[in-house]
Amino acid sequence: MNGSTQLISSAYSWCVHVCCVASVVSGSLKYCLVILNQPLDKCFRHLWHKALLKACADGGANRLYDVTEGERESFLPEFISGDFDSIRPEVREYYAIKGCEIISTPDQDHTDFTKCLEVLQRKIEEKDLQVDMIVTLGGLAGRFDQIMASVSTLFQAPQITSLPIIIIQEESLVYLLQPGKHKLHVDTGMEGDWCGLIPVGQPCNQVTTTGLKWNLTHQTLSFGTLVSTSNTYDGSGVVAVETDRPLLWTMAVKL
Amino acid sequence: MEHAITPLEPLLPSALLKACADGGANRLYDVTEGERESFLPEFISGDFDSIRPEVREYYAIKGCEIISTPDQDHTDFTKCLEVLQRKIEEKDLQVDMIVTLGGLAGRFDQIMASVSTLFQAPQITSLPIIIIQEESLVYLLQPGKHKLHVDTGMEGDWCGLIPVGQPCNQVTTTGLKWNLTHQTLSFGTLVSTSNTYDGSGVVAVETDRPLLWTMAVKL
Repeated sequence: MNGSTQLISSAYSWCVHVCCVASVVSGSLKYCLVILNQPLDKCFRHLWHKALLKACADGGANRLYDVTEGERESFLPEFISGDFDSIRPEVREYYAIKGCEIISTPDQDHTDFTKCLEVLQRKIEEKDLQVDMIVTLGGLAGRFDQIMASVSTLFQAPQITSLPIIIIQEESLVYLLQPGKHKLHVDTGMEGDWCGLIPVGQPCNQVTTTGLKWNLTHQTLSFGTLVSTSNTYDGSGVVAVETDRPLLWTMAVKL
Repeated sequence: MEHAITPLEPLLPSALLKACADGGANRLYDVTEGERESFLPEFISGDFDSIRPEVREYYAIKGCEIISTPDQDHTDFTKCLEVLQRKIEEKDLQVDMIVTLGGLAGRFDQIMASVSTLFQAPQITSLPIIIIQEESLVYLLQPGKHKLHVDTGMEGDWCGLIPVGQPCNQVTTTGLKWNLTHQTLSFGTLVSTSNTYDGSGVVAVETDRPLLWTMAVKL
């Protein structure tokens, strides 16, 4: 266990993340793309064509349809899944005619995002794809309950897929760090100014970091005690985080 | 003891005290162009890394108190609440609630910082604090029983209960479409989102840990 580069995540071993956007854009990372029901950032064009699989969760299809007017045939997702209470009928029809799989996931106990991940994982297995990461666009703005639902999906994700999932919207990225040690490479040039560590679901009682301007040493992060926001980097290009409980990493991206 | 609140009640009347936290003054300045004198806050506080110089100057000249709160261990929002509470006490004002505009969109870390401030608020003020931005409202329910009156007509379609910060192991509700009975809310287990009302006009929530109530507002 010498901290070498392995994209294997297991408790208490070094988990190295090429964070994340540069390698996604440059093509060295194999990823799938999920589009949620939020305004689509322009960066989706860079991300679209190199994605191994592209999917929309319900109203995410509306967003894709609207922003690709005039060139829709170049932006056809493999599938659209959801309970379809958001997708417009003409949008659903268009993508169905064009051969995109339309998969109804009516279960009201889970969000369209969660169910989309389940379908995606199934397809990755069926097609025996080698995938490093799932990139999700949207989910961090708009209705507050749905922002929280996006974060909640990240907590459920390990039961759905072993793949790391990042969510990006506008200048924000979130990624849930499971208990253990993590090394985040933040020297791609696409990192923005700020970053943070958010103990969303429970206090994290033993958090140690290096590479941040304001580091932590065996400290507790907890709503009401200490939440790391408006943090930044120390210039070393690497942030190491050790946590005893799931801890949400968030950072600015310059796309 | 049961706490009763009508979350949308303050949208009706006018504010006793108005304050801006740092860059909030820029927003106020820009949106009140042509009628700025009718929208002067009592004070503007913050570390002033966001407020534009001309904005700060304008409000200072107009008699608004400019209060520097440079402490980098707390957000401008948290520090603004401290100043506000001090002024409420100095002026001996009878206040029922603090209404905060903004804080629920933009940078994700700052959205989380807004929520974190709600957790710190009881150490700053005993007043309930609601945060509103666009169609969303959030309000932190302290452990205990709460009755939320949701019959003002300004409630939107959705609502939710978000166990931010820690699991809530004993949550019971009435008045929602999907109620809970002594259930656990926890990230990774169950988070109540896209919930709605049963039409009774009142939502009752009992929780053993702080629990974030969120709802749609139609403004």
